[in-house]
Amino acid sequence: MSNKFFFRSAFISTILSYLLIFVGGLVRVSGSGLGCPDWPKCFGRWVPPTSIEQIPAHIDPTAFNIVLAWIEYGNRMLGVIVGISILLMTIIAVIYFKKNSKILFSSLLSLFLVVANGGLGAIVVSSVLNPFIVSLHMILALFLVSVLSYVTIESYKLINTQKFTGILLSKKISISLIALWIFIVIEILLGTGIRTNIELIAIDNPLLSKGELLESLNSYKYFHSILGFSLLFLSFYLCYLFKDDFLGLSKQLVLFIFVMIILQIFLGELMIFFEMPQLTRLFHTWGSSWLVGIIIILYNTLQYEQSQ
Amino acid sequence: MSSLNKKLVIAFLFIFMLGSFGFYIIDKATKSRIDNISIIGQVPSFSLTNFDGSVITDQQLNDKISIVSFIFTQCEGACPIMSENMSVLQQRFSASDDVQFLSITTDPDYDTLDILEKFSSNYSNNDNWFFLRGNLIEIIELSEKGFYLSAALLPAGHSTRFVLVDKELNIRKYYEGTIESNIFELQSDIVTLLNQG
Repeated sequence: MSNKFFFRSAFISTILSYLLIFVGGLVRVSGSGLGCPDWPKCFGRWVPPTSIEQIPAHIDPTAFNIVLAWIEYGNRMLGVIVGISILLMTIIAVIYFKKNSKILFSSLLSLFLVVANGGLGAIVVSSVLNPFIVSLHMILALFLVSVLSYVTIESYKLINTQKFTGILLSKKISISLIALWIFIVIEILLGTGIRTNIELIAIDNPLLSKGELLESLNSYKYFHSILGFSLLFLSFYLCYLFKDDFLGLSKQLVLFIFVMIILQIFLGELMIFFEMPQLTRLFHTWGSSWLVGIIIILYNTLQYEQSQ
Repeated sequence: MSSLNKKLVIAFLFIFMLGSFGFYIIDKATKSRIDNISIIGQVPSFSLTNFDGSVITDQQLNDKISIVSFIFTQCEGACPIMSENMSVLQQRFSASDDVQFLSITTDPDYDTLDILEKFSSNYSNNDNWFFLRGNLIEIIELSEKGFYLSAALLPAGHSTRFVLVDKELNIRKYYEGTIESNIFELQSDIVTLLNQG
């Protein structure tokens, strides 16, 4: 009973966190990060102002833009909801899973990460959207969904023991999966580096077009493409390794990874050829967060199989 | 339909909805930027003297995006920060012939053309930044009635705001000249105006 209860709370926390990454990405691509000049309140109010008259006298109303304020505040509100859901999950973990250190410690870690990232959000605002800090905010969020994905699959295994029949995990698969995960993390860091540098260059050169900004980057931007295609081959190799399938879930997951990587390359190329339309950027970032989580889930389903 | 296919359809629908939502929000944010710099008023006619002796009138603002501020050279509080910020903006938009800067002294008694020239050389490295002086009464009127900026107890009581003026001499928005986030905002609004042509 408590197993099922915990799995549900972990699952909801994970899904909400993925949504939060989407909304956070939306704030970045729509340029709404300074929609609220203060933190945690917005123009001195817990509910953002809907008209300029509602702004208190001590706050300069110059920057007030109702649309940007609500986009930014939407991110903060969803952040609070995610925080509460993780807090509830952690409380359940502390009460019922004192002896399951995997679940207990990863729940506590996710609680720490969500609080830390909320605090980092304050620094994002006070730094006037310093691109490094904005990127760090996203990387912490990726770390959070990784831990949450782990908690979710671990608790799923507790309530579905019969689904995980004893099949041995080959060393090849294990190494390939770990390699895939590490390379994807490197790929994300490269991508984040590209974005950070584009923003840094754009601050000093507001007249450059998106295409010119891409041009002005160092040649390391090609590593992102090259590694992207390498990941495609690696995931294709994984599909091959899984051809004799263990169980439905693993095969679905490995196919999902393969399709996601193709999609990511497609979105990445779209960004280059159409000078980075914002929606493409948003899904490109969001897709990377899914990949990180799904690989963790896949790996942990297999580990279980091995230990049977 | 198998349960997997059903799940896939639901997932696709969900992603599609999220995408539409994202598209709507991005579009709304873009439009709000343009709405947010709606016309506030019109720059009145004026005639002031630049540090190099040339006479600058409101005609100079035609077909240029102008950033206007009020300062005085002896000011030690806000003005150096304001001028430093304007200097950064001048550098960043140096590739555009469509952006110019105006700093009007609120202390014409002390700020002679020589002093303004010396002051300008500390901050400006292009001739698209005018350091202007004129009759104090006219400047008070220009500040209060022309730009809707307070000008009590001059020189020190001048406003620390930057005024964004478009190519048709319309006042579009005000920015606190000492606050970094406002300068950030101003920069992106200049780009928005430039893109509008």
